Amino acid sequence: MKTIVTVRRKALASNDERAAQLRALLAERGTLALNLISSPGSGKTTLLEASLRELGGEIRCAVLEGDVATERDAERIRALGVPAHQILTGGACHLDARLVQAGLEAGRIPEVDVLFIENVGNLICPTSYDLGEDFKVVLLSVTEGDDKPFKYPAIFARAEVAVISKADLLPHVPFDLAAVREQIATLNPTGTILLTSSVSGEGMDAWCDLLRARLAAKRGAPA
Amino acid sequence: MHEMGIAIEIYRASREAVSGHGPGRVERVRLAVGELAAVEPDLLSFAWEAVVAGGPDAQSRLEVEWRPARQLCSACGEVAERASGSWLRLCPQCELPLVVEGGDELDILEIVYEAEEAR
Repeated sequence: MKTIVTVRRKALASNDERAAQLRALLAERGTLALNLISSPGSGKTTLLEASLRELGGEIRCAVLEGDVATERDAERIRALGVPAHQILTGGACHLDARLVQAGLEAGRIPEVDVLFIENVGNLICPTSYDLGEDFKVVLLSVTEGDDKPFKYPAIFARAEVAVISKADLLPHVPFDLAAVREQIATLNPTGTILLTSSVSGEGMDAWCDLLRARLAAKRGAPA
Repeated sequence: MHEMGIAIEIYRASREAVSGHGPGRVERVRLAVGELAAVEPDLLSFAWEAVVAGGPDAQSRLEVEWRPARQLCSACGEVAERASGSWLRLCPQCELPLVVEGGDELDILEIVYEAEEAR
């Protein structure tokens, strides 16, 4: 007998359930969680290093690093005296909520104010997986070319914050900043766009202020 | 490429959904995939074949319904017409910014299940 079973279920519902558990845990702790997504080499870890240097004495931070291989990124973060745990995906192109749950436990990540989750370098696959974060941050470095937002619309439409990184290289590369801003604003009219350089420090104040304001908002205090 | 993991998840969820219908085989699963889901339908169908191969549902098919994202004008409310994959900066009528809606679907819609005849 042929039966048609109507389901109406998200294909990734089991990931979403775990993400909801994570979100509840982080809410209980009052931890602001960010999911950083970009292609490899756009400066996620370097932005984190610069952020941690600036916020270090003021805000308790921890980092979960997602990579296919090597402990390198977690070591870079720990060198700054910040708790970090390396999640090795062993080939998988993205983090999922289960890996983040396991990483928090295995890394004995303490209760902190801000948890940075650095996803595996990839502009596509991480987009589909909710990690329980408060918001996604997409990075695009100026060396990657000014056509990327429309080429990878899913992540630019979803990320609340877009960071255009390596601003110090702008004089040396053909990169139409206005066109990129327009593409991002088209996909996400309410999003925030920041121009940063972890080398020169440009835009770091705006980025850190955004983190402070979002943390205050999460804790119900006026920003 | 994360389509393999997603195909495995869809298969697991589909089998779970028909678990109350007795022994039988899955004929097809209908799935909605949005333009902004970051999933490639052809790769997903290919992955599906690999996931079900050698099992009771080896003949099953994954049918993908493509759901474009819509661009709405905050003033006139009209859905701006656009070519797939291209985006409009402003409403052609009002010349105001548009809002992107939908297109993030990755939803199992229905499963066609052939239950074995009861003896």
